[in-house]
Amino acid sequence: MEGIIIALFVCLVLALVSKYLSIPAIPFYIIAGVVLGQAGLGIVASDQISSFFSDMGLIFLLFFVGLGLKVDKISENQSEVLTSGIIDLNVNMLIGFIAAYLLGFSLVEALIVAAAFYSSSTAMTVTSLIENRKLMMRESETIIWLMVFEDLVLIVILAFLSAGNENLLLFAVEIFIGLALIYVLAHYGKEFLVSILDRDDELPVLFTFVAVVATAGVALTLGVPDTLMVIALGAAFATTDPDAFEQHARPFKDVFMVIFFVFFGITINLSGNVSFGVIAIICLLAIASKLISGILTGLALYGSARSGLEIWANTIGRGEFSIALAALYGSPPVALTIAVMVIVTSLVGSFTAKYSTTFTRSFSGKGRRHGPTRRVQAGH
Amino acid sequence: MSPMALRSLNLPGVGTKYEFETDKGDTVAIFFTKNGTIQMYTLQKGCHTPSAAEMTPVEARRLGNILTGAIIEADQESVEVAFSALADLRVTLHSYIIPKAISGKTIEDLRIRAKTGTTVIAVSRNDKNIVNPPPSFVFETGDAVLVIGESDQLRLLEREIMVD
Repeated sequence: MEGIIIALFVCLVLALVSKYLSIPAIPFYIIAGVVLGQAGLGIVASDQISSFFSDMGLIFLLFFVGLGLKVDKISENQSEVLTSGIIDLNVNMLIGFIAAYLLGFSLVEALIVAAAFYSSSTAMTVTSLIENRKLMMRESETIIWLMVFEDLVLIVILAFLSAGNENLLLFAVEIFIGLALIYVLAHYGKEFLVSILDRDDELPVLFTFVAVVATAGVALTLGVPDTLMVIALGAAFATTDPDAFEQHARPFKDVFMVIFFVFFGITINLSGNVSFGVIAIICLLAIASKLISGILTGLALYGSARSGLEIWANTIGRGEFSIALAALYGSPPVALTIAVMVIVTSLVGSFTAKYSTTFTRSFSGKGRRHGPTRRVQAGH
Repeated sequence: MSPMALRSLNLPGVGTKYEFETDKGDTVAIFFTKNGTIQMYTLQKGCHTPSAAEMTPVEARRLGNILTGAIIEADQESVEVAFSALADLRVTLHSYIIPKAISGKTIEDLRIRAKTGTTVIAVSRNDKNIVNPPPSFVFETGDAVLVIGESDQLRLLEREIMVD
């Protein structure tokens, strides 16, 4: 128990520093974990309590993914979302997978590295767009939808990975039953849910917590992946009042996620048989492949490489989802590789996001210039 | 006057965006972000980089008051509301800070309604609000009061009663 308190206290200090410098806190939590844990000073070790809290962090993160799912909204600007999403998926997954495989990871390991390599951090991207006051850029909308697309792909990847060696048909049936159950409950219990959320005592928070934790617990007992069920629960709840659920679940997510990151760092094993050369190549490629996908997207949507640079600058940082994949499915060398990749890309990404306007301008020189938002209004 | 084309859309994870282009071709965009702040961007026609301001909800409401044409002073602000259902009745709500000269007096002593036709509808003291204070309410220096009336009546109030 003291371990968690020491770790959380260190994280609190680091959070203060990182907010002050306005750079993402996730890399600091992981580094703190590495320093405190078995790879470093060995002050804090993971135990049952910490792994329970870590699991909660992951579960609440996925619950938020579910709450934010807006499939109907995607179909509204389908072609743009699909174009950018598919370029991003193909380029980064392929480069990530081929690189990892050639560098000596097994097929499954390479797939996990590729998935972590592909998924940019939604939290970091959105925060940096707001903090760097870039919301008005036309690229911002593209970037935001790109994150939504990546979240959807992540769900598919999670489903694929959690199926493992099981009978696929049986697995699909199990998942289908689970999903149907959740949707029926949310649909017919809508009035009940809303009446609970409207109260101003402890019920809304208690209900949200129990619903999420119980869903994960029941899923585990039934042998269906809890990750997918929690996402489904979020998506089902999103049909009632997503903002209220977000508000009630946020404190749990915020605290448990910090524990999740720091204990992920604590359990990292530096003696894994992966050379630092390999990790360095993955990190460099992680930055380069987003550059390629960014520029391709910029050219496809706006006919402008500079737009592509802007997209790149804001999507370099990998974060929560990459770590989640590493924690769920990564072997020690995979976890170490992904951890370093997240630390490097998130720090580089926060820097490029902050200064992108300056360097994209110097890059394009006197070349074509485009206004941030050019949308011709009908009837003008 | 050509109708202003206002575009609003929901950005997942970010918040709501409102954007419109003025007749002169400038663009204004407002974002209500999920973390509660409001960002306003303005982009002059022909320019490439917008300028941005981030506001708290209170600051944004202030800005809104200014834009609707109400007067704002440091600690005093006012809103004029027109009710089309009441033959375009225009009433103004104005806030004042109680000056030393009338500290210790009640609303009745000052004969606010009889002298000016305005009504004190709320008083804020030490961050506590008293709505519809009784005539026996005693003012203290520094109280913030909200008064309702027509603009002429409020001017009278400023001249006759709210004087230092």
